[in-house]
Amino acid sequence: MIGVSLLIWTIVVYIAMRKLYARFYFPLLVPVATSTVVIIMTLSLFHLSYDQYMIGGKWLVHLLGPAVVALALPLYQHRHTLKQFLWPLLCSTFFGTIIGMGSGLLFARLFHLPEKIVRSIIPKSVTSPVAMDIAKLIDGIPTLAAVYVMIAGIFGAMFGPILFQRLHITTALGIGSGLGAASHGIGTAKALEIGRKEAAISSVAMTLSAIFASLLCPLLLLL
Amino acid sequence: MGITVIQIGGLYMLYMIGSFIQQLLHIPIPGSMIGMLLLFLLLMTGIVKEKWISRGANMLLSHLTLLFIPATVGVMDYVELFSGRGIWSIVIVIVSTMMVMLFAGFIGQWAQTREQKRVREVKGA
Repeated sequence: MIGVSLLIWTIVVYIAMRKLYARFYFPLLVPVATSTVVIIMTLSLFHLSYDQYMIGGKWLVHLLGPAVVALALPLYQHRHTLKQFLWPLLCSTFFGTIIGMGSGLLFARLFHLPEKIVRSIIPKSVTSPVAMDIAKLIDGIPTLAAVYVMIAGIFGAMFGPILFQRLHITTALGIGSGLGAASHGIGTAKALEIGRKEAAISSVAMTLSAIFASLLCPLLLLL
Repeated sequence: MGITVIQIGGLYMLYMIGSFIQQLLHIPIPGSMIGMLLLFLLLMTGIVKEKWISRGANMLLSHLTLLFIPATVGVMDYVELFSGRGIWSIVIVIVSTMMVMLFAGFIGQWAQTREQKRVREVKGA
């Protein structure tokens, strides 16, 4: 009973937070962040544990696998963009992924963070469901990985456009690759505010990054 | 609605196949990702038609956020990790994200400017 009501509550909160975001469009208000905060507040208010919440919540998590499979659709739909900019896109996402994972790993080690945190930071540049799967495979904490992904997405979407402006990155290919490779889905939503072409490139970059991260992450940890 | 559910079922099957391949071959790549690459190949070769999966796929993708809210809520069990040293992890994530953004942005910018220059030269000649 608790499971079902919390599941329904999650959906209600999500719909409300989506509306809020559509109204103000401020990156800090992305639905995943606001919904998470509201739900955690609800749980602590009623003294409910995360395990109790997951009785219903696990049904949503079950859909993450097929959702990752579904990412093949936008990649297929944007296949002409992919073909047109194949090499630049492969280069920017391949090296972007290496820089993202490498710098995360390096900084985390430099600051002597606990191993579980280090392994959860590494996949932060790719879309949540993939990052969680990667974290699981390399002994990180999937939940924590999802939180870092969220932080990467929010701050990328917030500061990315300012950064591009300052550094004269003005082309669709530059903006799209940057947002997609660094800030995945949240970045792609931001790219859509700039233009359709930017968004198409961003969504291709996001998917390519996810593929590269899946392939490279296990190798990186062998080093 | 019925069609959407059936299509999601189809995507779920691809996910299961991907996970099965992963376990069979012992490769450290998420099964979901293998399923995605499989679907991409099936679409490119025309074995699977776009309309067979598009409704289910769009349904899942447009509400992707909802699907990982339960995962992010899990952070409530790890709050102590963010006290003390752990707080640095947030700074690290932000700095590293900016590095990726700049690098990928520069490569994209460079490639497109070069392409435009080439097109202009060809036209000029």
